[in-house]
Amino acid sequence: MARVLIVEDSAAMRSFVRAALEEDEDGGDPIEVVEASSGFEALRLLPRGPYDCVVTDINMPDINGLELVNFIRKSEHHKQTPLIIISTQASERDKQRGIALGADSYLAKPFEPEDLRALVRAHLANKRGRAQTQRK
Amino acid sequence: MSRKTAGTRVRNRENDPRRAALARRAVERGARAEYLAFRMAEEIYAVPIAYVKEILKLPPLTEVPRAPADVMGVISVRGRIVTVRDLRRRMRLPESAPTRRSRILLAELAPELGGTGERVGLFVDEVLHVYRFTDAELESAANVLGSELAEYVAGIGRQAGEMIILIDLRSILGGQKAPPAPARTALAGGRA
Amino acid sequence: MVDQRDEFISEAQEIIEGLARDLLALDASLKRQQGADHELVNDAFRAVHTLKGLSSLFGVARMSTLSHHLEDLLDDLRLGRVELTARVLDVLFRAVDVYGQILAALRAGDPEPASVVDALLSELGQAISRPTGGASNPLAEYDLDPGLLAVLTEYEEHRLKTNLQQGVSLFVIRVRFDLATIDGALDNLKSRAKPHGEILTYLPSGEGGDSDSIDLDVLLASRQSLDVLRTELGGPTVSIEPVARRARAPHELPPSEPPPTQFLGSAAPRITTPPAAPEGVFTPRGGSVAQAPPSPFAGTSPRVVIQPPPEGDPIASLEVPRAGLSIRGVAQTVRVDIRKLDHLMNIVAELAIVRSALSRITDRVRGLPELRELGIELHRLHRGLDRHLGDLQSGILEVRMVPLGQVFDKLARVVRQISREHDKDINLVITGAETEVDKLIVEELSDPLMHMIRNAIDHGIERRRVREERGKPEAGTIALNAYQKGNHVVIEVQDDGAGIDEERVLEKAIQRGLVAEGEAGALLQRDILAFIFVPGFTTKEGASQLSGRGVGMDVVKTNIGKLGGVIDVHSELGIGTKVTVTLPITLAIISALVVVIAGRRYALPLASVLEALVFDPWSVRTIEGREVMTLRGSTLALCRLDALFGLPPLPDSPPPPRRFVVVVGVGNQRLGCVVDQLIGQQDIVIKPLGKSLEGVRGFAGATELGDQHVGLVIDAPAIVEDVLAASDATRLLGARKGSEV
Repeated sequence: MARVLIVEDSAAMRSFVRAALEEDEDGGDPIEVVEASSGFEALRLLPRGPYDCVVTDINMPDINGLELVNFIRKSEHHKQTPLIIISTQASERDKQRGIALGADSYLAKPFEPEDLRALVRAHLANKRGRAQTQRK
Repeated sequence: MSRKTAGTRVRNRENDPRRAALARRAVERGARAEYLAFRMAEEIYAVPIAYVKEILKLPPLTEVPRAPADVMGVISVRGRIVTVRDLRRRMRLPESAPTRRSRILLAELAPELGGTGERVGLFVDEVLHVYRFTDAELESAANVLGSELAEYVAGIGRQAGEMIILIDLRSILGGQKAPPAPARTALAGGRA
Repeated sequence: MVDQRDEFISEAQEIIEGLARDLLALDASLKRQQGADHELVNDAFRAVHTLKGLSSLFGVARMSTLSHHLEDLLDDLRLGRVELTARVLDVLFRAVDVYGQILAALRAGDPEPASVVDALLSELGQAISRPTGGASNPLAEYDLDPGLLAVLTEYEEHRLKTNLQQGVSLFVIRVRFDLATIDGALDNLKSRAKPHGEILTYLPSGEGGDSDSIDLDVLLASRQSLDVLRTELGGPTVSIEPVARRARAPHELPPSEPPPTQFLGSAAPRITTPPAAPEGVFTPRGGSVAQAPPSPFAGTSPRVVIQPPPEGDPIASLEVPRAGLSIRGVAQTVRVDIRKLDHLMNIVAELAIVRSALSRITDRVRGLPELRELGIELHRLHRGLDRHLGDLQSGILEVRMVPLGQVFDKLARVVRQISREHDKDINLVITGAETEVDKLIVEELSDPLMHMIRNAIDHGIERRRVREERGKPEAGTIALNAYQKGNHVVIEVQDDGAGIDEERVLEKAIQRGLVAEGEAGALLQRDILAFIFVPGFTTKEGASQLSGRGVGMDVVKTNIGKLGGVIDVHSELGIGTKVTVTLPITLAIISALVVVIAGRRYALPLASVLEALVFDPWSVRTIEGREVMTLRGSTLALCRLDALFGLPPLPDSPPPPRRFVVVVGVGNQRLGCVVDQLIGQQDIVIKPLGKSLEGVRGFAGATELGDQHVGLVIDAPAIVEDVLAASDATRLLGARKGSEV
């Protein structure tokens, strides 16, 4: 069971992402989804981790996704956590900045649920691989 | 950007006319086999059991002034108000007072099957049992009955020497916009 | 998946409503020559941005395309690339309507309306002229530290730049927040900081090792001095420092520049400010409104003023709903399907039935001397149950309540649009937007109110020249007032227009045979005005002559009636018209008088019952074939409900020793209903009758009266109308015969 934190201010978008990740017709490891409706809620939920992956929107009021990425990358506990940015932001600039700040992937809305699932699974597998290597 | 998003699929699922056809076929497949038989006056009638949601003992009925003649009244089923219709009045059968065997069949015909989607109570004198019919056992109603009843009847089944009249629920539960005849046999017996 | 789609529709609806509020507020600030509030523009951008994302995910193609274009426009607006003019606002308001149409189509399962979207898209192209060329990205000239810039979105960067260009100083407020209470604490900080400047962003600091609290660096642009800020915003967990600027600071800087300190501690970059950008490269939006090319609508644009209860400032009142959209609002609000509330209500109703059964048992136990103590205890428990059940019921009812402001916002948009179409200056003055009614009522109200407002502008308010001649202010006023009155909510739509010409109405009524010429003189004003509710009363040419109140008013009346409401009109020629709608606050539970008619129980909504009295058969007279009696000097028409409903007496029930007359009133009409017995007053939950009984007139629904027994709820307005209309017809026939002789 892997845990994924979704940070997104739209409830409908959150439930869409949740459905995409919880769908397990491909028989993969089940994913538990934790939802945060704002950057603040994410800050509150992060200490209750660990999370195996964080999926965040960019355009949110107050704390934006870039600031969240920056925060996570600097935090001792979460700096290794795979980070995926999802945003409709047409601006190439914000995407580039997200990557520069340490996000692992970027997915433009609208996306196929399969694509998001595949992306998250790929990062989860990567992380497991890393953890195993480290243990050895 | 791919057009095939999940959202598109959702929409199709709701609007696709094929979906209605599939649903109908699925219901028919279930309905083909089993009919709930009941007695009204001295005859045995039956409806596809798939459309019968519940069988109730007679609760207190509240008559509704100014309602159509075949409306016996309204009852409350777990907080929902349900209209009870009297098939005997509709089909001009002799009426007798309710007995302890009288029952109400809660039936519902979905809009895609030509119904209104409303859950309606049908008063019957007595519920008998469930019959199974194969296509071969069904006869056309016109051979047996006068034209007056044919409107309500989808076919005739015979079993163990009994004649069972299959009621076309669409004629009872249909919305006004329901197209006439063609689907009737399919609904009741699936001989099409 | 279907649930997700419902969720999408309801979220989209909420976003669109928020967008509409933002636009109205923008419109207001534009009218006050304040320039566009950048926060509002950004909120509108975010709304459309979210809509775009959602609609494309859910495959709602036209909505997605529309949102995409609007997003571009709003992005340009918020980044200062396009000027916000009345014309641009027009297009944005149209977009709100088009969104509404798309959602309505989705709800009905219809395809998205194509033509309206296409029309709007082409209009979008025309309304906006983007300045071509010349716009470089002046950010590079500022040489801000990349570490800070990296976490700013494009919009935040733009705001930072704008502030620096205007010579505003930057401060960093470092606050330690308890994670559990961060939302409230932050809202508090925001509201305290707002008067002093603009909060540009919040940067969570990765240094705090404590997992229960977090440090935030809040970047504030302010013209205040450090001392003022420290006094206003400081506190034990707050430290405020100015952000360093480069030495070649522009001349606009305040002379007493505080000593530069480092921003963001060790990880943190410095922010430095180069001289302002050359004039013309970037024009702050605030100052350029007046220089904008004259809009084709200049001078004709209507003013929409949302007037809060007297103590407040108009703009402040607009910000109340926006505050509700803050993070705290989102986190602490739960969206509930109204059907779930109905379900809870059903349970409460069933509990109420259990309670009354319990009450009967309690009474019986108390009557037994040997169980006296038990009886007292049972009685006490029963009282407690009674109270809690009451609380539960009112709690659920309260959840169903929403402010009328939801409809009023929509109406404000309509006023803006229609007044521009008709080239009339309109002040819309709204009071009581906070008055709450049941959500279902609010939904059903919007069409009738829209119709009334349309009529008021269309036919009530005179052309500018006419108003001038009559010595009225050039701008017409439409007042939309709502207030609670007992168990009812009253909504008034009042205009200072031409008023209704009674003589013309009467003329028309005589022409149409609604009243005999000889009887016309006896009619009171309200009788005459009642004719405008007769279906199809006004023809087109008649409409303009008699200020058109008749257009669709029958439909309005029917819709209001369906909600259990009544509608009244008052008018004074040349001064104005007031239409008053009185509605029950909630549909779900009503107080009713339970009566017995021919041995059967019926419920009469108390809202229509005026009084009940003992029936005296000797006082009945017959006038023109109709039974009447005299009540306190005036004539009251009677209706024997058993005969009206065709109810034969039940086999073994003796005729009642005495009967009662329940006087029901609807609008200004009265009818005495003869019943066999009064059982008493009871709160009932009205439930709809099924589709098969849709055509049956005279019943508003059914309700459970206990013991599994269903009672019908009498639709008093329908009965009154039927009975009195029949009597009018008889009277008219009589009158005609008379005139023929």
